Amino acid sequence: MNKTRLARLGDTIIASVKEVVGRGKVKKGEVVYCVVVRARMPRARSDGSEVRFDDNAAVIINKQGEPIGTRIMGPVCHELRRRKMVKVLSLAEHVA
Amino acid sequence: MRLEKCWFCSSTIYPGHGIQFVRNDAKIFRFCRSKCHKNFKMKRNPRKVKWTKAYRKLHGKELNKDATFELERRRNRPERYDRNVVQNTIKALKRIEEIRLKREEKFWENRMKVKKDKRADLEELKQNIHLVKAPVALQEDPSLALPKKMEKVKVKVEMREAGETRAMEE
Repeated sequence: MNKTRLARLGDTIIASVKEVVGRGKVKKGEVVYCVVVRARMPRARSDGSEVRFDDNAAVIINKQGEPIGTRIMGPVCHELRRRKMVKVLSLAEHVA
Repeated sequence: MRLEKCWFCSSTIYPGHGIQFVRNDAKIFRFCRSKCHKNFKMKRNPRKVKWTKAYRKLHGKELNKDATFELERRRNRPERYDRNVVQNTIKALKRIEEIRLKREEKFWENRMKVKKDKRADLEELKQNIHLVKAPVALQEDPSLALPKKMEKVKVKVEMREAGETRAMEE
């Protein structure tokens, strides 16, 4: 991961877990890969329009791009299709 | 490619324009320009904002209930592709557009017509009688020329005249 680049919608980032709810597969303080599925920052689409979501959200994935968790809450962006994150898309409630 | 409608002002959003906002409940709001987007962020209700189509249709300024709008309504039943159906739909689109525009024009004309009422003219005469004759002159000589209905009103004023002149002096 390039340190000078900023992550946008659909980018994969390295993050550290700050807060855990319940006993999950991930522990606090772990360094994980995740993909940004929702961002407040508008991102341009190929047809010229821009998309903005209500919050910033990421889904924790493994190095192969498959989500560690079993459920994904809320809508996700279309950009994942281009990144070939099929599993994330299939688990999502809604793809915007 | 799909032409969407702006959520706020109901104008068409052409490709390359506007912003799409996706709320966490997966509802998508499309805006044609930043004006509409900013109004939405201010939490304004388009039904209360005067320049939007929603307001105009709600307050009867524009044609809202008409059969020509049925074409654009969303249908959830998928249609099997049939070349003839597509051709007919395209023809119908053009024709219905023509009809809709004509009906909207007529609606506007009818809206403008209603204001030409006789009552409005009479009100104007009552209010602006001072342009015809000075009010002082009218009070001194009530026999001055006025339409018959106006004369009746004058009689009522005379009966209360004593009380009224006192009020005026005060």
